[in-house]
Amino acid sequence: MQTTAEQIEQDLLRPLFHSSGKYWIAVAIATSLLLAGVAAFGYQLYAGIGVWGLNSPVFWAFDITNFVFWIGISHAGTLISAILRLTNATWRRPVTRCAEAITVFSVLIGAIIPLCHIGRPWLAYWMIPYPSERHIWPNFRSPLAWDFFAISTYLTGSTTFLYLPTIPDFAAVRDVSTGLRKKIYRVLALGWQGTPRQWQRLEVAMHIMAVVIVPVAVSVHTIVSWDFAMTLVPMWHSSIFGPYFVAGAIFSGIAALILAMALLRKFLHLEQYLRPIHFENLGKLLLTMSLLWFYFTFAERLTAWYGNSPPEMAVFWESIRKNFAPLFWTMVVCNFIIPVPILAIKRLRTITGTAIASATVVVGMWLERFLIVVPALEHKFLPYSWGTYRPTWVEDTLMASSFGMMALLYLLFSKFVPMISIWEMKVGLQSHAGVPMVAPAEGQVALEGPQ
Amino acid sequence: MKALYGLYVDAAGAQRAFDLLRSASSELKLRSQQIVVVAGEPHEGYEFFDAQATSTPYRWAVLGAAVGGTAGYLLTTLSQKSYPIHTGGMSLTPAWTNGIIVYEMIMLGAILTTLVVLLIGAGLPNFKGVIADPEVGKGKILVGVVDPPEGLEPELERRLQQAGAWQVKRSATLQP
Amino acid sequence: MAHKWGMVVDLDRCTGCEACVVACHAENNIPTAGEDQAARGRAKHWIRVERYWEGDFPNPRVRFQPVLCQQCDEAPCEPVCPTYASYHTPEGLNSQVYNRCIGTRFCANACPYNVRFFNFYNPEWDKPLQLQLNPDVSVRSVGVMEKCTFCVQRIKAAEIQAEAEKRELKDGEFTTACAQSCPSKALIFGDLNDSASEVARLASSNRGTKLLGELGTKPNVTYLERGTWEDANHG
Repeated sequence: MQTTAEQIEQDLLRPLFHSSGKYWIAVAIATSLLLAGVAAFGYQLYAGIGVWGLNSPVFWAFDITNFVFWIGISHAGTLISAILRLTNATWRRPVTRCAEAITVFSVLIGAIIPLCHIGRPWLAYWMIPYPSERHIWPNFRSPLAWDFFAISTYLTGSTTFLYLPTIPDFAAVRDVSTGLRKKIYRVLALGWQGTPRQWQRLEVAMHIMAVVIVPVAVSVHTIVSWDFAMTLVPMWHSSIFGPYFVAGAIFSGIAALILAMALLRKFLHLEQYLRPIHFENLGKLLLTMSLLWFYFTFAERLTAWYGNSPPEMAVFWESIRKNFAPLFWTMVVCNFIIPVPILAIKRLRTITGTAIASATVVVGMWLERFLIVVPALEHKFLPYSWGTYRPTWVEDTLMASSFGMMALLYLLFSKFVPMISIWEMKVGLQSHAGVPMVAPAEGQVALEGPQ
Repeated sequence: MKALYGLYVDAAGAQRAFDLLRSASSELKLRSQQIVVVAGEPHEGYEFFDAQATSTPYRWAVLGAAVGGTAGYLLTTLSQKSYPIHTGGMSLTPAWTNGIIVYEMIMLGAILTTLVVLLIGAGLPNFKGVIADPEVGKGKILVGVVDPPEGLEPELERRLQQAGAWQVKRSATLQP
Repeated sequence: MAHKWGMVVDLDRCTGCEACVVACHAENNIPTAGEDQAARGRAKHWIRVERYWEGDFPNPRVRFQPVLCQQCDEAPCEPVCPTYASYHTPEGLNSQVYNRCIGTRFCANACPYNVRFFNFYNPEWDKPLQLQLNPDVSVRSVGVMEKCTFCVQRIKAAEIQAEAEKRELKDGEFTTACAQSCPSKALIFGDLNDSASEVARLASSNRGTKLLGELGTKPNVTYLERGTWEDANHG
């Protein structure tokens, strides 16, 4: 057991101390995407939102699509980390931290986007309820005020949820480092020692956080969906939006997690830790969510079609048959037709298979957000003021830079924090009688438990 | 500060050492705070670990949630009443919408309280100095004594060895 | 009794001349968008004349419908503004406070009538039109929402004048720019709470309907119309 625990620490700390050239190339690409976005945003601040493709009546398009998309991706961590923790699913151990990291960074990006998309971003702080002589105060009846509270709470909660179990791992890094690195990790580890009292306290805190973060996550995406459902816009004003968005968020979150895990496995050489069983289990979850997504989409569209209300049908046919039909059916292919066979047939549910399915799901879910926002706004109640929307290069750049920012944050995270929770893997060693949690390296026999 | 400790390969050995130290604490003139166990992971099912179980953070979290919820209620209702601005034919203090803010503040209260209670309960941040050993990271469990009484060190060492230590060490200074 | 400003639009009188649109632009400092921006859908007309066609040459039928902010009693644009930039005044107006607006554009999405507009750029006027700006109306900067205010500057000026002269406001003493410039008197503006006013009389006419009234927004603009096109053709 000592050998394997030692092995765990060695394997999982290695990326912090060694980086390949490919890593730096990836960082360079991600950074340049991010900088391009910063430049585009600067141009937008200077010239006005007019440099986007928005118009009357399509006042939200790529900006809100990306906002909802990134907040949706964030449900990866919450589901995997919190729910699987609460249900004692031990296979989650190598997966929790990469999932929680996705959550924190995508919530961060999702929180930045609304600050950048408003007409006067330098006044975004007016969303904070602070005493003001000018009587500036937020309107708590507005879904955007709810967004502010929900996303702040979720960001605080998920950062806490990510940081707390990382403290012992920061201590592990501290204990094998020297010099400046040791000093930094000393601060990050807060002087963690590892006494039973500290471990007990940490576990209780994680339990409470797991219980609390799940309703917070559900509420966050529900509230984001209510940015749409609280209006009277045809095909927006639907009570299904709350559950629909939460299910869609979990769906896209799991897909993003699988993609991230596949990349980590390959580039950080974590083949012994992120094993086919993990991709299998996540693949089964992804399959479930794909079926659930289909159910919600079908239910929403069927009720609209059956009711045959003219304002709703105008939007409905735009997506199903007219201008947005290519995107709509691509979305169905990406979210359902490709993933379901891959994930349902055991022979295809490999790491590569689930990664392909996940990639199509990420694309499909982005399209789903877009198709919720734009066709409805293009076709509101008065046909005279119907409009069309095309994105401009500024919006495309901003969107690409959000992906760049996510990639950069994740790459930097993998450099400074062990991507797999070392102490949780060690716990996995001791509690797993019979089947080793960590696949033995070639030629090595893993010891199976306390001796 | 000095420390004398033994490293044990498994939790059973650590439990033996811990029991030994505890039962001999009066004989060896040890206060219970001087007995230290350090591990690289939690070890449930063993008394030295389970004895530290606590449920007070749960109660604090509930309290924090209540405080957060009250704060949310006061924030919304009082400010809406004191600066009345009518919108959309809705009432000034709609329970549905204020309820959403209250809900988020409940959760935020629980989260922040849990974080603070953890930091306080675990004694973090603590930069004064801790006993640590690289072997702990490799899976050993450290059971030992901080500031062992003068003259009793050889006896302590013998007992730690008797409990089945993989190695017994001394450290002159604590790791910062 | 407090005023409650409302308007009546007589569709049987409207000829679609769009004098109201031009007057509104002049009164409220609304810049023209220009050909390029208008093609991209960014023309700002606080009042616009919607044209709906039926039938083909040689007998097409066209219907004109001036649409402006309906100043709804239960405006869907008001609760959604996160900074209270859109709120309901005690006199029944839906007020847009430019200084509070941070430009989330939520109100524009929530409005079923598409009568809210966003300043995508800073406004510009072709010279020498910048010399004819109305000093009573603020010029909105980039990033701010705007819409028809029922010429609130004229309302306020008349109210202040009446208060200074210690008298009540009389119906017809002032009116909005669009109503003032309509050659066929299709637009009538006034105080709905004044039972003697023309707008109150016409608003209760049996020709009256509300635009998208089924949505429950309770608009304060009443559209008068004697039946459908077919009736107009045969009647």
